[in-house]
Amino acid sequence: MGLAYSKIDGKSREFYLLLILFSIFTLVGFICFMVSYISGHHVLGSSSIIPWGMPITITIYLIGLSAGSLILSALTYVFGKEEYRPIARLAVYLAIILIFGAMIGIALDLGRPEKSWRLFMFFVLNNMRSMFALNGILYGGYFLIGVIYLGAIFAEKVKFIKMMGKIAIGWAALVHMGTGAIFGFIATRPIFFSPIKPFEFLSAAMVSGLALLIIAVVATFKFTKRNLNQELIFSLSRLLRILIIVLTVMVLIDKLTHLYSPHRDPTIWLFTGPYSWIFWGLQVGFAYILPMIILFHPQYGKNLKWVMVASFLVVIGIFGERFSLVIPGTAYPMPFYPGKIEGIWGTAGSFPITPVESFMSLGMFTLMGLLFLVGLKNLELLPVDQSGQQTPEPAKT
Amino acid sequence: MPRWGMVIDLDKCVGCQACSTACKAENNVPYGSPDDQRMRRDIYWNKVIAATSGKYPRVNTELIPMPCMHCDHAPCVTVCPAKATYRREDGIIVQDFRKCIGCKYCIVACPYGARSFNSREQKEEEYHRPDLPPDRNVWGQWAFPTRTHGVVEKCTFCFHRIDQGIKEGKKIGKEVVPACVEDCPAEARKFGDLDDINSEVSRLLSSRGWIRLREELDTKCKVYYLPK
Repeated sequence: MGLAYSKIDGKSREFYLLLILFSIFTLVGFICFMVSYISGHHVLGSSSIIPWGMPITITIYLIGLSAGSLILSALTYVFGKEEYRPIARLAVYLAIILIFGAMIGIALDLGRPEKSWRLFMFFVLNNMRSMFALNGILYGGYFLIGVIYLGAIFAEKVKFIKMMGKIAIGWAALVHMGTGAIFGFIATRPIFFSPIKPFEFLSAAMVSGLALLIIAVVATFKFTKRNLNQELIFSLSRLLRILIIVLTVMVLIDKLTHLYSPHRDPTIWLFTGPYSWIFWGLQVGFAYILPMIILFHPQYGKNLKWVMVASFLVVIGIFGERFSLVIPGTAYPMPFYPGKIEGIWGTAGSFPITPVESFMSLGMFTLMGLLFLVGLKNLELLPVDQSGQQTPEPAKT
Repeated sequence: MPRWGMVIDLDKCVGCQACSTACKAENNVPYGSPDDQRMRRDIYWNKVIAATSGKYPRVNTELIPMPCMHCDHAPCVTVCPAKATYRREDGIIVQDFRKCIGCKYCIVACPYGARSFNSREQKEEEYHRPDLPPDRNVWGQWAFPTRTHGVVEKCTFCFHRIDQGIKEGKKIGKEVVPACVEDCPAEARKFGDLDDINSEVSRLLSSRGWIRLREELDTKCKVYYLPK
């Protein structure tokens, strides 16, 4: 199937309005970051008991979205599934900006972001036994591979694309498993500690990446008034169904093992404590149960609007999954000594949502929105609309 | 090379918090405010926890002073990406503020809650005394660094005292001890070389049964407790 791609015009009022809105929020986010950098992290919600807050939650969420969308692009370029070709370029571009956003997120969370170069001094100043340092290689490499891959797609070098695509999927899987390993290898925190964590992260990434891609594709085609092949979206939603089942099974096994001794208290606290609504409501409800009901429903599953709703629920729900891992994961007090520990050392930490942190988080998202818009305007990411009886020159890839 | 360790006799500890106070004064740790305490942002290099078991009137409260355990298999050293926290040859785990990037991974990994994140620029009156100027000839960790927010802090076993004592040829464990050991009114804490069979810590460990905290994680920590 020959397909030509084009840029969008980007001259409409809505485009500029969105551009300005995103710029303002990005700027506000940057100011909030400077406030937290200059006056210290006490303006954020994190503390010594819950050391990781929203930036890390968002980071692992974005990494998930990124690799998911990259793996999907490979469906076309590596496995030759022609029906996904119209969205393949967009998926690669989305993957690049999302990993970029994730790396920004890590930098925002550092107490001393000016020293973040130390994370990339591999084997010289880094402790390579640390999962963080290994992930530095994975994230940096992933960004580079993504850029080269996109470059190859634009240059339409068929063989090279196929090769890069294969490397990209393998690497994307590694990025995910590496991110899962950051959490899964910490024996101290029972909610984190699990050998299944890398695989859980991988499947969560696929689910959220695919759901985001469905939303991005439908929205972009609609705003740019391109004709969308609905069957394409339904085939994606069928894939989404399967991936949600895989993820649900992974999480089920993970949580079940944590309900057995030793150290079952933190998991029970997660299920019943103050964060239980995030776990049951957002993670289980929004990410697993509701989308599955919609997608398996004989009528709703065949309706584009409902598929969109399900995708939205998944994207929000997976965010809930990340939140209910990172924040309650460290909040429960550790059993230093047998017996009930009195005072603050025996009480669970709380995570207040502060304005600075909220605007900083919003700024991260709008920065990526901005990059997405700029990309649409300057790069040939979208297929030329074929319904308008155009006769585009067929591309080789 | 010695392997420094500490023995804490829980039978003698009265929970007076003199060790916590001595630590704050010696290492110039900020006092913290009630607000910090509520938000769990105050910095402790040494803490004393109370663990109760049983029900009134049959209740037992144990007071457990907890400095950094200076584990031989320290999880914080394994996870630090920037080599900011490392094990010295004498077994002390130190945290170099100049290398620390503030990723807080060590706080997540530490099984003893020994690490605190410095989350704000403290005012002068929140310290025991002003920071001493750093010794720029030293490439490793400075004993009294000018504090910055955004890094992780923890107990150092008062390595500056030990290094100074060795230089002056004093007996470590008798004449020179960490501040918390020195200030303990009940003499519940003992400090010394675990590998030296003649040291007081070795004598205590061989004379009584001892425990280490969270042994199930196999951290091989060097702070031993003599139970009641």
